[in-house]
Amino acid sequence: MQPEPVLELQKVSKRYGSFTAVNNISFSIPAGSIYGFLGPNGAGKTTTIRMILDILKPDAGSIRILGESCALNVRHRIGYLPEEKGLYKKMRVWSIIAYFATLKGMGRKAARAQAFELLERYGLKDYAESRVESLSKGMGQKVQVLSAVAHRPELVILDEPFSGLDPVNQEVLEQLIRDMAAAGQTVIFSTHIMQHAERLCDRMLLITKGQKVFDGTLDDAHALIPRRVILECQSDQCPAPASPDILSVTELPILEPTRTAQTRRWEILLNEQADPQMILQHCFTQRIALSRFDYTQPSLHDVFVHLVGSDAREHALR
Amino acid sequence: MKMIILIALREYAENVKTKGFWAGILLFPLILVGVFFFQTLLAESTPSRYYLLIDQSGRYANAVDAAIRQEQQRRILQAFVAYVLENRSDAPLTQIPGQSNAQIDQLIDDVGVDEVAAVDQWLNNGGLDFLLTLAAPVLREDAPAFVPPREQFLPAPLPVDIADAASTEEIVERLRPWLNAERMLLIDGERSPLFALILIPPDVDSAIQRPGAALPSQATAPAGVQYWASNLTDTRLPNAIERSINNAIRDREFTDQGIDIQRVRNVQRTRLPLSRLDPRKEAGEEAVSIADTFRQWAPVGFVYLMFISLMQSVQYLLSNTIEEKSNRIIEVLLASVTPLELMMGKLLGIGLSGITTIAAWLLSFFLFVLFYPGTETELITQFFQVLMSSDLIPYFVFYFLAGYALYAGIFLAIGSLCNTLKEAQSLMMPMMMVLIAPLVTMTFIAQDPNGSVARIMSWIPLFTPFTMMNRAAAQPPLFDIIGTTFLLVLSIVLVLWLSGKVFRQGVLRTGQPPRIVEILRMLRHRH
Repeated sequence: MQPEPVLELQKVSKRYGSFTAVNNISFSIPAGSIYGFLGPNGAGKTTTIRMILDILKPDAGSIRILGESCALNVRHRIGYLPEEKGLYKKMRVWSIIAYFATLKGMGRKAARAQAFELLERYGLKDYAESRVESLSKGMGQKVQVLSAVAHRPELVILDEPFSGLDPVNQEVLEQLIRDMAAAGQTVIFSTHIMQHAERLCDRMLLITKGQKVFDGTLDDAHALIPRRVILECQSDQCPAPASPDILSVTELPILEPTRTAQTRRWEILLNEQADPQMILQHCFTQRIALSRFDYTQPSLHDVFVHLVGSDAREHALR
Repeated sequence: MKMIILIALREYAENVKTKGFWAGILLFPLILVGVFFFQTLLAESTPSRYYLLIDQSGRYANAVDAAIRQEQQRRILQAFVAYVLENRSDAPLTQIPGQSNAQIDQLIDDVGVDEVAAVDQWLNNGGLDFLLTLAAPVLREDAPAFVPPREQFLPAPLPVDIADAASTEEIVERLRPWLNAERMLLIDGERSPLFALILIPPDVDSAIQRPGAALPSQATAPAGVQYWASNLTDTRLPNAIERSINNAIRDREFTDQGIDIQRVRNVQRTRLPLSRLDPRKEAGEEAVSIADTFRQWAPVGFVYLMFISLMQSVQYLLSNTIEEKSNRIIEVLLASVTPLELMMGKLLGIGLSGITTIAAWLLSFFLFVLFYPGTETELITQFFQVLMSSDLIPYFVFYFLAGYALYAGIFLAIGSLCNTLKEAQSLMMPMMMVLIAPLVTMTFIAQDPNGSVARIMSWIPLFTPFTMMNRAAAQPPLFDIIGTTFLLVLSIVLVLWLSGKVFRQGVLRTGQPPRIVEILRMLRHRH
């Protein structure tokens, strides 16, 4: 029997007046996983997270979190980093981490010890006694992440934790998330930067315009879009073999300057089972000289664009 | 409950760390010390002022001289009364009559009626020496010697020859550089400004106005005695001169009409004393003492203290909520505690720091009285004891807490609706107007504590804490006390409940503060 999921949403909706922020979303998150919440800006990620935390009430649907119907009952077992970051400016770094930990039910001494330990482990030891207002934005954000997880919650919800961090600190944060998962904690984080999700997530949820468009593993995501081969040669015809595995062949315009005017470029889409080697082999036997052969595993970014593509572009242009 | 205390403790600790909090705490003792210190300093350092008296009529120089001398005697008298109060033997304050004793009364009356005569008589009786003998029995054995205040107005020598001046105008013209402080007098090697010129023109008597006569036309030229001075605020000298010259003229009128001045004076000095009695006191102790008067006025001080402390706490509450809202800490907090816990924690924490401020003020007041020797503080010590023995303190504690809960609830709700202090200003305006009302009516209510204005205001919950505190010393009817307290507690519960609703919905709001309609919708909202 499957263990009860840490979090389960069923047909949850939220409307603000005539605008539907979240529309009929269902998903569940198994314990101990790293779960990515993906979607373009304004997709409804933050609203969903706020409903999970019981800060907002859903208009329809039900939420079960850590076996309870209301996050407030289990709030001490949850850690939360909101999208907009802010801390008390006048407080000292260690004491703000300890304060939030005590609000989550930790004892004062334990909270204090935990604060110093976390600061040391994640490279902020020298700033423990500084005031929050003297920190840079990125450091402040690290402090806030630490204060969200200091009480070792079973479920950690991070809303856009990577935004505003430099690459080095992004790696530190990725490490923190892996550490927590290794310790058996469940981590949910939202982002619109696919690389993080690709590197970290066991499962992910993709929403756009308040609706779920994908829920599954990274492999599931990759399977969603066909494999793609780009060919370039000086031939009038595409050198692709006739095969049922080839889904489509399209000629692409060459925009950049090339060495010879006759060079042409094709995009070949293959189905999942196809082996791109067969194209290479076909060209070899046909003695067609290829000036380019590109085969890349589609990235999550491609999946993302594929799934929300037109919507996202439309959104960006608005 | 644990969460409420955690939040309260943080609010308290953070508030106590702010500069504003310490400024608030230190300001009061500083003002206290400042007032006493500077008052003494000012009294001692007000420079002697030089005046020039030119009497062309030759009829009033004596009267003016006498008036100025009296001004000095009046100050000596005042200083002397203060000296006696300060150095009296340990007679409790409650036994010193509310009004100065009869002989000093007589003197003050006399001064009012006929200064020249009164001071003359006082001086004839031995002046200061006479008073000292009079006061000797009530003075402490180790009382320091009485030092009369320095003379404030001194005649100045003529700085320029005016013997050949043809007209009054010309005299003024010649003296103008000194009057405008362009030139200084040189007296005993020190340069001093000329404070005033009193010029009595030769034809001054033609300006005398008598009842029944037609009022003089609005002449542009100055009539009567001319008092030239660039200082327009110190009116003691012109007042004294006007009074004394008028007295001199009246004396002459009496004589002209064949009335014996001495008999008039005797009639004017006839008096019947008035004893102030309090019907609420025990038989035989009805006389109103200084302590009683003080006790009656003390609530005004408490109302003021309440107002200041309330303003401070409530402002902090507001700015602090807005800070949490504007940098979105609120979201983290609400993931950890319920809105109601957050609100209560804030109320409690800031309330505690308000109480700390008041306690620090009272303590500094007490220490000040204890360690600042001499002058007025002994008097204050006794007032302090009167205060502690009255039941005003429990009233104050109750009404302070009640007022705090009421206003803090309202201001928290306002804070929860705004993202910046600027936005909060417009919502705060009506509340500020409300808060000003008890301050404006404070003195009036102390004078008429059970009048209809006081009673009506007591029944308006927003004013109840202030107004009932204001009336506390006047034993308001039991019906008022119980009724208003009931209403007040009810309103506090209602306000906290409603602001809890607004707070819950307001704290997560972003963007513009809501319109009235939206606030009403929030109030109706069912969670």
